[in-house]
Amino acid sequence: VLTSTRPTAGGDAQPVRESCFHCGEPVPTGTDLAVEIDGRPRAMCCAGCRAVAQLIHSSGLGRYYEFRDALPERPESGVDAGRFAAWDRDAVLDHHAPADERGCRSVVLVLENVHCAACAWLVQRYLGSFPGVGQCRLDISDGRLKLGFDPQCTLLSTLASALARLGYPPHLDTPDSALARDRNERRRMLKYLIVAALGMMQVMSYALAKYIGAGEMDPETEHFFRLVSMLVAVPVALYAGQPFYRSAAAHLAQRHLGLDVPVAIAILLALFSSVAITLFGSGDVYFDSVVMFIFFLLLGRFAVLLARQDAGTAHSALTRALPAQARRLTDEGSEMVGLVELTGEDRVLVADGEVVPADGVVLEGVGRVDESLLSGESEPRLRSPGDAVLAGSLVVGGSLTVQVTGLGRDTVISGIVDLLGEARRKRPRLAKLADRAAGIFIAAILLATTLAALWWWQHDPARVIPIVLAMLVVACPCALALGTPTALASASRALARAGVLASNPDALEALPRITHVMIDKTGTLTEPGMHVAEVRPHESLDHERIMALAGALERVSRHPIARAFEAHDRGLEVQRPGSEAGNGVYGEIEGQRWFLGRPEWVEQQIGQPHEAIGEGIWLMLGRPGLQPAWIRVDAAVRRGAGDLIAQLHGAGIEVVLASGDRPDNVAAMARRLGIRQHHAGLKPEDKLALARRLRAKGARVAMIGDGINDAPVLAGADISIALAEGAAIARTQADLVSTGRSLEPLQNLFAQAPRVRRIIRQNLIWALTYNLGALPLAAMGLVPPWAAAIGMSASSLAVVLNARRLGRIPGTAAVAAPKPAAALKRSPA
Amino acid sequence: MKIIYVLIPLSLMLLSLAIWAFFWAVKNDQFDDLDTPAMDILDDDEDQGHGLEDGEKSVNGKW
Repeated sequence: VLTSTRPTAGGDAQPVRESCFHCGEPVPTGTDLAVEIDGRPRAMCCAGCRAVAQLIHSSGLGRYYEFRDALPERPESGVDAGRFAAWDRDAVLDHHAPADERGCRSVVLVLENVHCAACAWLVQRYLGSFPGVGQCRLDISDGRLKLGFDPQCTLLSTLASALARLGYPPHLDTPDSALARDRNERRRMLKYLIVAALGMMQVMSYALAKYIGAGEMDPETEHFFRLVSMLVAVPVALYAGQPFYRSAAAHLAQRHLGLDVPVAIAILLALFSSVAITLFGSGDVYFDSVVMFIFFLLLGRFAVLLARQDAGTAHSALTRALPAQARRLTDEGSEMVGLVELTGEDRVLVADGEVVPADGVVLEGVGRVDESLLSGESEPRLRSPGDAVLAGSLVVGGSLTVQVTGLGRDTVISGIVDLLGEARRKRPRLAKLADRAAGIFIAAILLATTLAALWWWQHDPARVIPIVLAMLVVACPCALALGTPTALASASRALARAGVLASNPDALEALPRITHVMIDKTGTLTEPGMHVAEVRPHESLDHERIMALAGALERVSRHPIARAFEAHDRGLEVQRPGSEAGNGVYGEIEGQRWFLGRPEWVEQQIGQPHEAIGEGIWLMLGRPGLQPAWIRVDAAVRRGAGDLIAQLHGAGIEVVLASGDRPDNVAAMARRLGIRQHHAGLKPEDKLALARRLRAKGARVAMIGDGINDAPVLAGADISIALAEGAAIARTQADLVSTGRSLEPLQNLFAQAPRVRRIIRQNLIWALTYNLGALPLAAMGLVPPWAAAIGMSASSLAVVLNARRLGRIPGTAAVAAPKPAAALKRSPA
Repeated sequence: MKIIYVLIPLSLMLLSLAIWAFFWAVKNDQFDDLDTPAMDILDDDEDQGHGLEDGEKSVNGKW
């Protein structure tokens, strides 16, 4: 037997020479997919990138490469035109895309992978080139595309597959209550803010007249100015101050001193005492202070609201977890329908590799179903007639006929998504601590204010009201309450741009205290996909022939291993192809029946015994009457793995490699990356036990896994970090999710975490110092109410601005764009 | 100084007008996406007239 190894696509040991023109990933050695663009050959890393780059170039949209300030995801190759066929059905269109009287329709699509202004430009330009496309507007903050089109000119499925080919897989928008609520909240706050701002300008201009003309104004005019001020200030303060009154009332109803209690007391006290003075008596009025105070407070609240809402989690997880269409079984056969068309009486067929569209019961067929999204169970489970299946689970072997029982909002996954949404809104741990501290603080302020008021009542009754106001306002511990959440929100935003999504912001704050990092091997340190690592040909079966045969045979399979052969498909015709789950694929090529797969299975099929072969995952290719050939498949090490391990060691963190793989493979990987502790052959429960053992010894453990197979283990660590791409992002339930293919986002994460903690500490120290320092000054009458309002707002603003420093992560803006267009850089606002 | 009895009510009317205008803008999504329109000005390609003009008008700007 001749033995030769050849470098093939994705070989991990080869040096990387250049990066892909389209997606920026390194081009694997041996890949020759250069495309001539603008007269120069451009290297491409995969067929998908090549297709997209050619598409962009041939549409005359090459300026995308000049404008972009973020690199795109690697596109999927081979988008099936039929994937969106059901979107053209009238029922789907009527539900998602209302028509106007001329027959034009408007639809909202949610796009994946929208990064920057150049994405919006590309999408708008490209779709605009289709006939019948009217309005086309992509919101880069949440990836929502508003699209007007004429179904008579261009079908929605054509536009959808065009988007998918371009690297932006579209999903039909399902009305998301959380998003709508966020938007309404934003709008309401904006209205309060506008009223407060305009009211403040008005009232201050009236007050200014009095300050300028002090002493010269006749009493009648002065009274007129007061009346007008009151006329403006009272409705403005009552309207724009609502957030504070409501929150204070809600807190008081729970017998709890919230932050807004002193604020509301101060506003209402100042307002009504000024009204009383205007109508019945004489003295100073505080209408201008009240309105200005409300404005500055609202400004701070609005900034915090925006920071909190825009944390990079705009996509509705639900829209991404469910398939675009379903195959409904009818008496005549089957038809592709949109999800909205399914009813509780329908039966659907779910084929291998497809996602179950609705909750249901299996009627026919046996198959394995990956329910990790729903149950955290890592192993795909066998499902046979009578078993329940859940929407959002993935069929990984076999095909099932399912009787639909639950749809849309009634599905289990919908409930889970709602729960996750709730979790995102929960307050960070440190913020809760600060809230409790603030409660005590507020009680102390109220007590101190009462004492000061009593003292001044004895000595100078005219000064009681300004001093009480100043004390209530200046000492408001807003900065204390804002310090942690704004810092975490800001860091989440920046990390999201750098490729790490923080679904549990507490994890950011806890990360610097980590002592151990447990890391999985397969799918985590290595890429999730497989590639061909070694081929053993012989006299009658050479390397080229083996790869061509394998590429053709694997065409029918959706198994991860099959993807390793995609690039080698030379288009050989296969008669009667088929696959046997867990064993391999077969088919007739040029009149001969070939088998490719597990050695034991192929051996059985072709009647040839197989000799022992080395370590690794070996596939056997053969036909009856011929000596079989061998192919070894392997997974490449992720980019940045070595650097990440070195960085963690440098930070004094112990790295533990915990894998389910065989000891020799694990040891080799550990040696290669310089990991001292490694454990092999671990089942998920063993990994969980290992994490628990470490924690019992006082270690704080962060677990890095692929988020799906590791779900239970991730749950057992102090902090869970998952790696996920595309739709899988919605499937993970880890504290932090790193997106994309490389481990570089995690390097960024571990480098930034200490900064987050430092800034939170600065914020809290500053807030305490300010509050404790300002209160005595106000009690002594040294702070006028207007200065107190500015002081308090300034201290809150200082905290928010300090937190915003976390929004700039050094090194994340660096993108290998040929000509970075500074004008198009998205501001970090 | 009698003029202020005219000017100040006038300023109040302008104030209500301004508030109404802002509320209208908020209601009509003018503040929803502040990033993407900022980029349109840089898009100076000549073929602006793509697609259906009537398709845009027919939906009454309710996007």
